[in-house]
Amino acid sequence: MRRVAVSGIGVVSPLGNSAAEVIANARAGRSGIRRLEIPFATRLNSALAATARLDEEAHFPVARLRMLDRFSLFALFAANQAVAASQDALVGIEPSRAGVFVGSGMGGTQTMDGGYQTLYGEASDRIKPFTILMGMHNAAAAWIGIEHELRGPNMTYSTACSSSAVAIGEAWLRVASGQLDLAIAGGAEAPLSNGSLKAWEALHTVATIDVGEPSASCRPFSRNRSGMVLGEGAAMLVIEPWERAKARGATVLGEILGYGLSNDASHITQPSVEGQAAAMRAALHSAAMAPSDVDAINAHGTGTQANDRAETAALRRVFGAHAQKMPVSATKAIHGHLLGAAGALECVLSLLAMRHAVALPTMHLQVPDPDCDLDYVPNAAREGLAARTMLSNSFAFGGANAVLALGGGEPLSH
Amino acid sequence: MTSTLDRLSAILARDYQLPPERLTADAPLDGLGIDSLATVELLWSVEDAFKIKLPPEPVTLTTLGDVARHVDALAAAQGVVLPPAPEAAAALHSP
Repeated sequence: MRRVAVSGIGVVSPLGNSAAEVIANARAGRSGIRRLEIPFATRLNSALAATARLDEEAHFPVARLRMLDRFSLFALFAANQAVAASQDALVGIEPSRAGVFVGSGMGGTQTMDGGYQTLYGEASDRIKPFTILMGMHNAAAAWIGIEHELRGPNMTYSTACSSSAVAIGEAWLRVASGQLDLAIAGGAEAPLSNGSLKAWEALHTVATIDVGEPSASCRPFSRNRSGMVLGEGAAMLVIEPWERAKARGATVLGEILGYGLSNDASHITQPSVEGQAAAMRAALHSAAMAPSDVDAINAHGTGTQANDRAETAALRRVFGAHAQKMPVSATKAIHGHLLGAAGALECVLSLLAMRHAVALPTMHLQVPDPDCDLDYVPNAAREGLAARTMLSNSFAFGGANAVLALGGGEPLSH
Repeated sequence: MTSTLDRLSAILARDYQLPPERLTADAPLDGLGIDSLATVELLWSVEDAFKIKLPPEPVTLTTLGDVARHVDALAAAQGVVLPPAPEAAAALHSP
């Protein structure tokens, strides 16, 4: 297997639209969660969301925008930014040996929602001719392939909240095994359609609004946690063989060391401690790491009662006494749950945290929970903590768990 | 056809933010970034703006001039009196 470097990062998210903005806001614990100011909010019990703000017309021609669902728009923006940041990773690449790997849980759900509004809400038959092409889950990956003329595998993974961890992991496998020489890999999600917001609410996993401070409504690992907050955005990586990145003089931003999968095979929503532990063990095995080799964790940490309790138990099961020594960061407290893009955004945050030598805080950890008794870096970043390796956990409804083992790149020179 | 073309241009300038100098009768729709699927959507705006009814059968429209001629032919066949251009353009900008 070849070593695999991350040589480009692109992001559009509730924490900002560049790696620099995202790490600055995550480090400061500035929340991107806010009250949802849309007319439909009056029909929601908890009108909260972590929205991304992108001036789309500044980046894409209007004719193109009319063909892009919001999730594809995010994906394409993040991919273009990652390529631009990669210091010419695509130059000289054989197009058939370069692939695109995208995760999305809900695909073009806003387009589909709009189509249903036309069909049922307005009783009109004028369904936009682009509806299928915008709504399909593989649209984002397809547009990235078209934009950058990548002719290798163009893959889309939909495993709910682990989709983009799977996409990055599968891309890593192809590059590490020598099948591909480059991949753009990550995830995109734009789930804030009326129908989707209402459906998530109906599932009773959404956080109650903190009336005094809406931005603090998501409280992972805090005893008073009440659920997750939906977020939107995309994060993309350019990955390539380590040797290639070094040979062309690129700055290595981080390394994908391995990737593990497991399936709970038990319940459609309830997390399984053993399933989560199995995915972490699989990631360690694939990276040839012992539990004590892991310096820090980016937790799945959704802020639901069930996940955070199970994840704590799973971390203890895998790491034993070492679990106590690792900082465990749950960044969903400030960027919300990006569903199919969550794994990619948290992979990016993990890589940036290592590069910037900081343990990112778990914000809004207000009340300790006896069932969640690890070091979650509560409420303030820990500076100077230069983790060399991290696991980034992504667990999903349906039970498809994915864990990425990540290594630090070249430290920033100050 | 000229006033129809002006009104079409107003729609395209609004929906696709295309510069007016590119919106000539011989401009191919494809070259303006409007492929066959986008043309379907464009024709809905045309239907509303010109108060005409488009037949369900697909038609081949290659240039902006083709669309204008198509609209004129339908308006004539359907007995629709097209409003003068400035009013139509103003109507496009009202909510």
